[in-house]
Amino acid sequence: MNAAQVLNGIALGSLLMVLSSGLAMIYGLRGVTNFAHGALYMVGAYIGYSVARHLDFWLALVLVPLALAAIGVLLEFVFFRPLQNRSHMEVGLVTFGLALIAERVVVLIWGEKTLSLDPPAGFSGTTSLLGVDYPTYRLGIIAIAIVMAAALIVWLRHTRTGLYIRAASQDIETAGIMGVDVNRISLIVVGLGAALAGLAGALAAPYISVDPSMGDKFLITVLIVVVVGGVGSVGGAMAAGMGLGVIQTVVTVWSPSVSVVVPYAALVVVLLWRPRGLAGRRTA
Amino acid sequence: MTVTTAGGVTAAEAVPETRQRSRRGLVIGLGAAVVALAAGLALPYVADTYTMGLAADAALLGLPALGIGFLARHLGLISLGHTAFFGSAAYGFGIAVTQFGWGPMPSVMFGVLAGTAIALLMGVLVVRASGMGFLMLTLALSQALYQLCVQTSFRPLTGAYDGLVIGLGSDTSFLGLSPADLQDPGLFWPVVWVPLAVGLVLVWLVGRSRFGTTLEGIRENEERMRFSGYNTFAPRLAAFVLSGFLASLGGALFALNAAYVSPDVLGFARAGDSLIAAMVGGLGTLVGPLVGTALYVWGEARLNSSANLHLYTGIALIVVLVFLPGGITGTLQRLWKRVKR
Amino acid sequence: MKKTVPTAAIALAISVALAACGSSGGSSTAADSSGADASPIKIALIPPSTGALAQYGADGVKGWEIAAEEVNAAGGVAGHPVELIKKTTDGQSSTTLQAAREAVTRDGARFIGGVMSSTEAAALNAQLAALGALAFNATAKTIDLVGKQCVANSFHIVQTDLMDINALAATLTTMPGTRWAIQAVDYSTGHTAAEAFTKAAEAAGKEIVLQQFAPLNTTDFGSYITKLQDSGADALFAVEYGADGVAFVKQAAQFGLSTQFKTVLGFNMVSEPLFSVLGDGITGYYNNVGYDVSADNELNKKFVAAYTAKYGEAPYYVPADNYLAAMTLFAGIEKAGSIDPEDVRDALNDLTFDSLVGEVTMRGADHQLLRPSYLGQVVQADGGLAFKILDSAPASETTPTPSPDCKL
Repeated sequence: MNAAQVLNGIALGSLLMVLSSGLAMIYGLRGVTNFAHGALYMVGAYIGYSVARHLDFWLALVLVPLALAAIGVLLEFVFFRPLQNRSHMEVGLVTFGLALIAERVVVLIWGEKTLSLDPPAGFSGTTSLLGVDYPTYRLGIIAIAIVMAAALIVWLRHTRTGLYIRAASQDIETAGIMGVDVNRISLIVVGLGAALAGLAGALAAPYISVDPSMGDKFLITVLIVVVVGGVGSVGGAMAAGMGLGVIQTVVTVWSPSVSVVVPYAALVVVLLWRPRGLAGRRTA
Repeated sequence: MTVTTAGGVTAAEAVPETRQRSRRGLVIGLGAAVVALAAGLALPYVADTYTMGLAADAALLGLPALGIGFLARHLGLISLGHTAFFGSAAYGFGIAVTQFGWGPMPSVMFGVLAGTAIALLMGVLVVRASGMGFLMLTLALSQALYQLCVQTSFRPLTGAYDGLVIGLGSDTSFLGLSPADLQDPGLFWPVVWVPLAVGLVLVWLVGRSRFGTTLEGIRENEERMRFSGYNTFAPRLAAFVLSGFLASLGGALFALNAAYVSPDVLGFARAGDSLIAAMVGGLGTLVGPLVGTALYVWGEARLNSSANLHLYTGIALIVVLVFLPGGITGTLQRLWKRVKR
Repeated sequence: MKKTVPTAAIALAISVALAACGSSGGSSTAADSSGADASPIKIALIPPSTGALAQYGADGVKGWEIAAEEVNAAGGVAGHPVELIKKTTDGQSSTTLQAAREAVTRDGARFIGGVMSSTEAAALNAQLAALGALAFNATAKTIDLVGKQCVANSFHIVQTDLMDINALAATLTTMPGTRWAIQAVDYSTGHTAAEAFTKAAEAAGKEIVLQQFAPLNTTDFGSYITKLQDSGADALFAVEYGADGVAFVKQAAQFGLSTQFKTVLGFNMVSEPLFSVLGDGITGYYNNVGYDVSADNELNKKFVAAYTAKYGEAPYYVPADNYLAAMTLFAGIEKAGSIDPEDVRDALNDLTFDSLVGEVTMRGADHQLLRPSYLGQVVQADGGLAFKILDSAPASETTPTPSPDCKL
């Protein structure tokens, strides 16, 4: 085992961390398993690809989260809010339908071909770290993800909005009675969750290729991460995402057959043994 | 996992069906079944080969849909994992033929047995969960099975990504049908129609039985049933295994007809499609999932020329969930009641 | 419950009716194929229109179109005009089979082409006898299609993986590098290639230091690349195609992997449609080439000219092999003097004819078309990247004897 393999795990874990934090926030507040999260990530990658191709990669990292936040707001107004009295299962399945639609719409706009994007200038080579030469861009992803994770936790713990989100995630009705503007909080959370998925997509574009099924490939893993980390717990989801990325990569080196089963085994064990997830019901 | 009731998804009305265990209902029901069975068997005489091919596909996929519907209607459980039983049975059949050199009949039995065994194992793990937890567990376990199936170490057995070609010896026969006959939809039709019709009656009878009442009690309030002295685990497991058995039957017969199995049958896309088809047809009625599956097969043949089938299934799913709770059959049932009133 | 019974009956009737929907006018089966009439030669094309292989599917159809236009302009084949029936699939074998059944039973197609992947081809092979149709396979290269999956009604136009590997073997000794690593897709293509390559490399006095398989649709090759780096290999044999190939090449560049290797030999990895997306980094890569666009014979020049005029770009192996599939079918019909599939099938056995890749023979024992394979190297040309053909090996050198598993 060498340091590069561990870094590979951390890079994958970083992507899972960004993706799962958004999913966990939406789940925590709305109780909805957002099956469209993988699709949001894919759409983010495609928009990021176009922006980076025509304008600039760094601009994509700003514009994509904004665009996805707008999509998130749309989702909130058109689906989550009108359907908030329906069962969570129904709303979850609505997002499943949305994911199917999104995948085809992306194909109609960008085509079927796999697209690939080169890392931005200065990030295309390798950097020496821990005695290995490791791709600079992957180190960049790790850095961005860690900064983002820390910022999110600080924001949730130390701001008024963060407090409201944590309160509403514990018990949305009580929070409403206590005077928290639940609709506004929900709008922020869904918008932010979608923006994070978009950010993950834009970061992934030069990391792995952009293709219409890229969302599907991650969706199940990320759903598992959120459940394992503790339903609705942002911190738990991020820890589980990073943990799964590292464990899976390291186990792949030893035995690929065992590695693919790791997430599923983790889910079964957690759901049966500790149904609230590893972190319980702490939001951040 | 937060417990969510799936009542809104599964039934047109949350109220459990009032049961009239009258002889008259039973006679009418069985009579209708016999008529439907006979009418179905006459189908190859009026429909062309292409139509029969679609009908056979719909019936093959109808068996797992029947299983999904049964679980949803009687236990309120939504499964995204019936591909596991369908696929295991299909692979079981293939492995029996290619590895053990068995004939078609014992191989089909082995396939059904394998799929049902997987249902039993999986059931022990998942039936305690409910709502979204159940859905996630069935999804995860069936996808784990997919992952295992395509592993390099299983290549000799399953063919991994390449799939498994099931070459039946030309001298073998299944209920008098040669391997070539099995691929003629008109001749193959009774092989799948009879199990489907019998399965339908079976599910209907189980629903009317005391066992069915117990299941509905568990669906409405599992805790209350447990406190009333009922063992709630065993009935749920039995229902799950019955549901898995139906899917397995479909899978083994599918492999018999196709003479080829690929990992697609265990995939996420297939799992989603079969659930969506069942929901669009209506999980709240006995035949809703079959209607949805027939519609899906028809759509696959007619609308997929631009590969946009998923665009339409996605839209259909959302429309049904938002505007037509209970799916097509549930909506028709409501309209029918309103007209009668 | 009283209501459920009539509802059930009604809904059941609906579901049966639905399945029967669109069956009207479905009686136009089996084209009258006897006699010397001008009934059309109906060919169903079933390419994937979605997924990673969609582009190849569309290009394969172009090969058939050029062939059809050409013979129709000349009055058809043995007096029969060619009619292409275009279907599509999402690449899943069940959809492909359904499209094939529809084309045969409703549209009267007797010949099938354009089916892309090995899994679809294998599934279709299992049904061909029941359909009474012939299939012409121009893209799926797995050796099993002329081995344990072979059937009398299927003809394998494209080279098998083994033929292509054997074509590389001769040049292997001269390629720089002695310690080779194998990175292959976890598909029969990958396994066949890895096995055959290992034999060839050992015969050439090279050492295999690492062999690893990545699942199809792998997106993150990081851990594989790290293992390659650790292996100490100085040459790489890579079998990763489509999106996987793109991801692997791109990520390998980010890891600076190419500096480690004196030789990168791709197999089914680099092809003309991927040049632009793979970028200049692949200059110098070796790869097997199925079709030589600059082959110096009249039939090829005619095809290249027609193709370029119609589609504004030069053909590569996918359209060319599909065109060759059409040529094979037409040669069989000419010889049989009939468009009945059974007559055509019998006529094709051991038929030798002239084609755009030179003189070829359809081997009767396993229905493999005997044709040359090439080794190319990616070079910078005027219009961007291009293949330079380094070596060509005739079928007599590359093609193994028919598999004992194949009994026609």
